[in-house]
Amino acid sequence: MLTTGTSRRGLIAAGAGLGLAASLPAQPRAQGRDPLRIGVMTDLSGPFAGAGSQPLFWGMETAIELFNERGGVDGRLVQPITADSQSRTETAINEMERLLGQERVEIVAGIYSSAHAVPLSGRFEQAKKLMWITSAIATAVLKDKNFRYVFRPTVHSDQYGEGSVAMIHEHAQAKLGMAPDKVKLAVIYEDGPYGTGVAAAIEANAKQRNMPVVLKEAYSASAPDLSTLVTKLRRERADVVLQAGYNPDITLFLRQAKSGGLRFKMLIGHGAGWSQIDKLTETFGQDVNHLCNVDPAAAQMLDWSKLQPGVGDLAQAFVAKYSEKRQVRDLPTHASMGFNNMWIFLQNVLSPAVKKTGGLTAEALREAALAVDIPVGGTIQGYGVKFEPPESAMAGQNARSIAVVMQFDNGRSRVIWPSSIGQPPVLPLPAGHAYAAR
Amino acid sequence: MDLLDPFFLEALVNGILLGGVFALPALGLNLVFGVVDVVWLCYAELVMVGMYAVWFLYTQAGWPLWLAFAACLPLVSLLGLLLHLLVVKPLLNQPPINQVLATGGVLFVLQGAATLAFRTDFRSLGVDMPPMEVGEVFVSGTKLAAFCAALLGAGVLWAFLKFTYVGVAIRAIARDREVMPLMGVDPQRIYLIASAVGGALAGLAACLLVVQLDVHPFVGLSFGPITFMICVMGGLGNMLGGFLAAFLMGLIISIGGFWGNTEYSYVIAFLFFILTIFARPRGLFAR
Repeated sequence: MLTTGTSRRGLIAAGAGLGLAASLPAQPRAQGRDPLRIGVMTDLSGPFAGAGSQPLFWGMETAIELFNERGGVDGRLVQPITADSQSRTETAINEMERLLGQERVEIVAGIYSSAHAVPLSGRFEQAKKLMWITSAIATAVLKDKNFRYVFRPTVHSDQYGEGSVAMIHEHAQAKLGMAPDKVKLAVIYEDGPYGTGVAAAIEANAKQRNMPVVLKEAYSASAPDLSTLVTKLRRERADVVLQAGYNPDITLFLRQAKSGGLRFKMLIGHGAGWSQIDKLTETFGQDVNHLCNVDPAAAQMLDWSKLQPGVGDLAQAFVAKYSEKRQVRDLPTHASMGFNNMWIFLQNVLSPAVKKTGGLTAEALREAALAVDIPVGGTIQGYGVKFEPPESAMAGQNARSIAVVMQFDNGRSRVIWPSSIGQPPVLPLPAGHAYAAR
Repeated sequence: MDLLDPFFLEALVNGILLGGVFALPALGLNLVFGVVDVVWLCYAELVMVGMYAVWFLYTQAGWPLWLAFAACLPLVSLLGLLLHLLVVKPLLNQPPINQVLATGGVLFVLQGAATLAFRTDFRSLGVDMPPMEVGEVFVSGTKLAAFCAALLGAGVLWAFLKFTYVGVAIRAIARDREVMPLMGVDPQRIYLIASAVGGALAGLAACLLVVQLDVHPFVGLSFGPITFMICVMGGLGNMLGGFLAAFLMGLIISIGGFWGNTEYSYVIAFLFFILTIFARPRGLFAR
C-alpha cells in the first residue's frame, strides 16, 4: 500500500516551497511596522492543483500584492503565511494545526476542496480562529452548523444545482422542442462532499420542476476508468448530462464518452475542474465548445460599467495584473474567486478590524465580517456580500452570492443564465459537434 | 438479467480491455519481485515518467508518435536499471521493510521532481482513435489498440522467458535463488536484466496509458494501488497469476459498475481482494 510519511511531506513541501519562494513577492517589511500575518492555504500539489486550486492561489496572491501596493492598512502590509494542503485531507488538517499552533495566525483564507473544508471548519470553530473559505462550495460545510468563525463569501452547492436545472427548464420547450418534464437528466458526480452536495441540489431542483433524473451516480475522482458509467448513460439515453467533478475525472469522462459513443443534447459541468476552460480547450479543442459550466461569474465576463463605482477599475487592475503574470487566454473562474474573495476580506474585513482595534484578532475580524454589507454589483464577480448571522441555518454563508451558467465559446466563457443578464444559449449542441445527439 | 443485452456486452468488453491496461504493469512488477525479491513501490511512478517522456517528445519536441513510443521503452528500462543499481542493490541484504521504504522514497522523489519540472497541469497527447461500433456496442479504438499492444507485449515477454537462455535463467532464479548460483548463473546479472525488462514493461505501459489518461505528477495514484492489489491477488512474483488477476479485477470493476454503480464496483473489487487474502494468502493462483 502507498503510505504517506515524512519523506513525502518533506519532498513535496520542499518542492512547493521552492516554487512558492520564487512566485511570492518579497515578504513585506512595512516600513518598520509589524506586517499583518494571515494564513493562506490551498492545494499547490496533487490533483486539485491542476483542477483550479493553483489559479485560486494565484488570484489570492494577486489580491494581496495589489492591496499592499495600495498601502495595505494604513501602511501596514499583509504578509501571507502559505500552506500547501497537497490535495490530501490529512495534510490540510496538519497544515491548519501548523498555521494556528506554530505560526499563530488568527485567520486562514483559501481552502479549495470541500472534502478539506468539512473537517477543518469544526476545528476553526473550536479554536475560535477565523476561517475564510474562498472556494470550497459544498452546502454541507455550513448547513445547520451555526458556526461563528467560519465565513464563505462565495456561492454554495445548492445554487449550482438551481442554475443548471433552471437553465434547462427555461429553454427546454423553445430550444429543445420538449416539454421540461420530458427532458431526461443524468447526474454524475465525484463522491466527496462537493460532488455529493451538487448532485443532491440538482436532484432536488429537478424534482421541484418535475424533471426526470434517469441516472444519478457517484464515482471516485481518481477512478482509472469510467467506461461503464458511459455505457449506462447511453443505456438511459439521457438528454442532458450534469457533472460535478475535479480532475482527472472530467477529462477521463470526456475522452471515454467520445470513444464510447455517448451523445447528448447538452453537458453541464459544475465548477472545479470544469472551470479550467483553458486547460479543457487545450486538451479537447472544439470538442468542448458549447458545453456549459455553472460557477460564480469570472471578472472578465461581466460588463464592468454596470458594477458599482470603482469596482470596474478594480476588476480591470486584477485582470491586467493576473494576465501579465500568467499567460492565459481566458482567466479561469478560480482566479477571480481567489482574488475577489480575498479582496473582500482585505478591504472589508481586515482593514476595518485593524483600524478599529489596532491589532489583528479573530474576534475583531469576526465582528467586521458580520458587519459587511456590499450591495449587488459591489464585487468584481458581480455579487454583493452579506453574511448569514450565527442563528441562521447557513450561518457564515454569503446570502448575496450568485452563481451563473456559462457556455464555452471558442475558448472563452459567456454567461447564458440568469437570462436577465445572459446571452441566448446554443442549445442543443449543434449538428457536427463531437457529442451532439444524432 | 439479459446476458445478450448489448449494454451488458459492452460492459463485459470494457472489463476485458480494462484488464489489459492493468496487466502490463502487473507483469512488470511481478517479474521484478519474482526475480529480485523486492517490491518496487515506485513502479507506477516509473510509468508516469514514461508518460511524460512520450508527451514531451511528441508535443514539445515534435517527434513522431511512434518514435516517442520507441524512445520511451529504453528510457524507462534505463530508469529501472538505475533504480536497481542505486537503490535496490545496496539494500539487497537488508530487511524487506528497508527496501520497501527506499522504493517508496523514490516514489515521492519522482512525484516531486515531476511537479517541479512540469508543474501540476494535466497534459494530454490529444491523440484519439475512432470507436468501433458493432450493433449497439461501442468499443474504444484507443483502448482496443492498447489492449492488443499489451497482449503482444505479454506474448513477447512469455517467449523471452520461455525460449531464451537468459529467460530460462530468470525463471530458474525466481524459482530458487539459493541453488542457481551453484549452477553457474550470476544472480547480479540476472537481477540487472530483470530490472531492465521490468522497466521496459513500465515503458510499454506508459505508451498505452498516455493515450488514455492525462499525464500529471500523481497519475500513478489512478492505477498504482490497484496494480499492487492485482499482483498480491494473483500471487506476488507469479506472472501468470498477476496477468489473470488483472482481467479478473477489470471484469469485477466493469460488471460490478454495470449491475450496481461505479462507486461500489471498486468497493466490490476491494472486498473481493480482502476475501482472497483471507482465503488464499499467497494469492488466487499460487501453486
